[in-house]
Amino acid sequence: MASVTYDKASRIYPGAERPAVDALDLDIADGEFLVLVGPSGCGKSTSLRMLAGLEEVNHGQIRIGDRDVTHLAPKDRDIAMVFQSYALYPHMTVAQNMGFALKIAGRSKEEITSRVAEAAKILDLQSHLDRKPKALSGGQRQRVAMGRAIVRSPQVFLMDEPLSNLDAKLRVQTRTQIAALQRRLGTTTVYVTHDQVEAMTMGDRVAVLKDGILAQCDTPLRLYQQPASVFVAGFIGSPGMNIAEFKLDGTDAVLGQARVHLASATLTALAEEGADRIVVGFRPESVDLVTENDPDAFPVTVAVVEELGSDAFLHGWHSDLPRGDGTGNGQIIARVDPNHTPAKGSRVYLRIQPGKGHFFSVTTAQRLPS
Amino acid sequence: MTTSAATARSGDVLRRSADWARRAPLLPALIFTIVVTQLPFVVTLIVSFMDWNAYYPDERGFTGLTNYKRVLTDVNMRDAILTTVLLTVTVVLVSLFLGLVIALLLDRKFIGRGAVRTMMITPFLVVPVAAALLWKHALFNPEYGLLNGMITAVWRLFGSDHPPQPDWISTMPLVSVETALIWQWTPFMMLILLAGLQGRPLDVIEAARIDGAGSWQIFRYMTFPHLRQYLELGALLGSIYIVQNFDAVFTITSGGLGTANLPYTIYQTFYQAHDYGRASAAGVVVVIGTIIIATFALRTVSSLFREETSR
Repeated sequence: MASVTYDKASRIYPGAERPAVDALDLDIADGEFLVLVGPSGCGKSTSLRMLAGLEEVNHGQIRIGDRDVTHLAPKDRDIAMVFQSYALYPHMTVAQNMGFALKIAGRSKEEITSRVAEAAKILDLQSHLDRKPKALSGGQRQRVAMGRAIVRSPQVFLMDEPLSNLDAKLRVQTRTQIAALQRRLGTTTVYVTHDQVEAMTMGDRVAVLKDGILAQCDTPLRLYQQPASVFVAGFIGSPGMNIAEFKLDGTDAVLGQARVHLASATLTALAEEGADRIVVGFRPESVDLVTENDPDAFPVTVAVVEELGSDAFLHGWHSDLPRGDGTGNGQIIARVDPNHTPAKGSRVYLRIQPGKGHFFSVTTAQRLPS
Repeated sequence: MTTSAATARSGDVLRRSADWARRAPLLPALIFTIVVTQLPFVVTLIVSFMDWNAYYPDERGFTGLTNYKRVLTDVNMRDAILTTVLLTVTVVLVSLFLGLVIALLLDRKFIGRGAVRTMMITPFLVVPVAAALLWKHALFNPEYGLLNGMITAVWRLFGSDHPPQPDWISTMPLVSVETALIWQWTPFMMLILLAGLQGRPLDVIEAARIDGAGSWQIFRYMTFPHLRQYLELGALLGSIYIVQNFDAVFTITSGGLGTANLPYTIYQTFYQAHDYGRASAAGVVVVIGTIIIATFALRTVSSLFREETSR
């Protein structure tokens, strides 16, 4: 087992103007479960494939432990990878699939059989060992792909969206199984996904990428509570954060009748920047239903209420702003008590809970101190 | 109740007439196909059970299995069957092997790949008789052929005035015919195998690379099993065509020096001996042989691969 280090690693595809991965700096500790997350085309899969040796590193270095693997062939890196398509060997049985790496490594038949049996036991595949991948269900194939990885006891597991081909229910189930398996084996794992829920639930730390650049790398909770930029704030969390540009009004930020008090540190930063506007974000759960008389209340017209049982989400728009899409134009999502949901089309009053706002610079989109 | 039955019936009628409207335009082609392919075969089958020799018109009549007995016991015919098997197996195996090697080379990216690929296919586009003539006169000829010309040139390069000038066709007749056929059939095998190679799933190869496999191991454990069905297909189609080969044998050796295969022997029996019954019986034997070879090839290859994967 080993740590993994990306040291200013870049990948520029031939003919492309912009690097697919731009000077990525990441330190992944021994035994850590790191999730790379981001929208499609953000470079997360490319980063993983660079670590696997399937993609060339144009600048910078990648190290596994103390070993510089930047220019090593995949087979010399001591890694195992689970592919999105699983990439099972179609003409081999489950046992042969799982034992292939060991066979190539020249291990004895007895050792291969016992290690495959061990992995099959962990993954509950014992009764399928003689089947071909074609005869397996999606979930079973996924487990075979996992088995192929763990049989080898590699230094690092690489997983490229391994759950995206499963149906929703199985995905949730397998998600916890993989996380538990990783904790049990203690193998350093780099996991790529586009699903922020997966990222939040599985990772020890989550690295958010955008356009080939690392936006933020932190624990799931800190990503949620202290997003470093507008992009991270909007990407993490479901439903997403309400983000809008507010005007400065003395020590407050104002949009229509919505009003947020700013801390002195925020005001100082704004003054240094010389800005008269500020990007304010607040999560759906940081909003309270209040009465009209509350000093910070702003009116909202209810468009839809999504009732999920444990929660209910109110989708509406600022009544005193022109309508359009995005919170900037007055759209707003708020979590409300599922037992007392306001009626569709009604007018309610909301208040942003004090101290729950996230503040970002209008020019740099970076977080401001608060 | 009655109305619904009536609508159902009229629906049936409608559907039937629609079906016929669709089929009717195909009928002429179908009838034509039956007339030109199935009828001759049936006639051949019938004639193969008859004693029918143009030189002895009075003896014409049914004789049961006599023709078949003669075909299988006659030394010439038996030799012809052996030659056919030898010719087919050699040509198919060698052209499959060469086709595989060339397909593997062409699967790599290099400048001018399209042009090279097109040029590699050309032998297959040459008319078989023309190809055979080309080999016989332009290449194999001991006086002015390209092969002996090259030998002379090479020998001159090393200062020798007495290069060997073998008469290729007389010293190795069957090999000469096989060489010409291999030259023509390699592109066909290459095309099939290249299609197979390019249909290889990339992620599986990547997975194998990560699992530690080197180039040779990837070929042995991933590419080769993947090509299995393409190899089968190539062998099958190649066998079916080469069992029936006539052009090369007729042109290069005229069936002499032990190169007469079954189709050539049938031709001799039919056009020179005018023994229609025996020729037809031999023809039927070729058809049966083709089917046997095809089945056999398929089975051997399949079992071979089953062993391969179960190891």
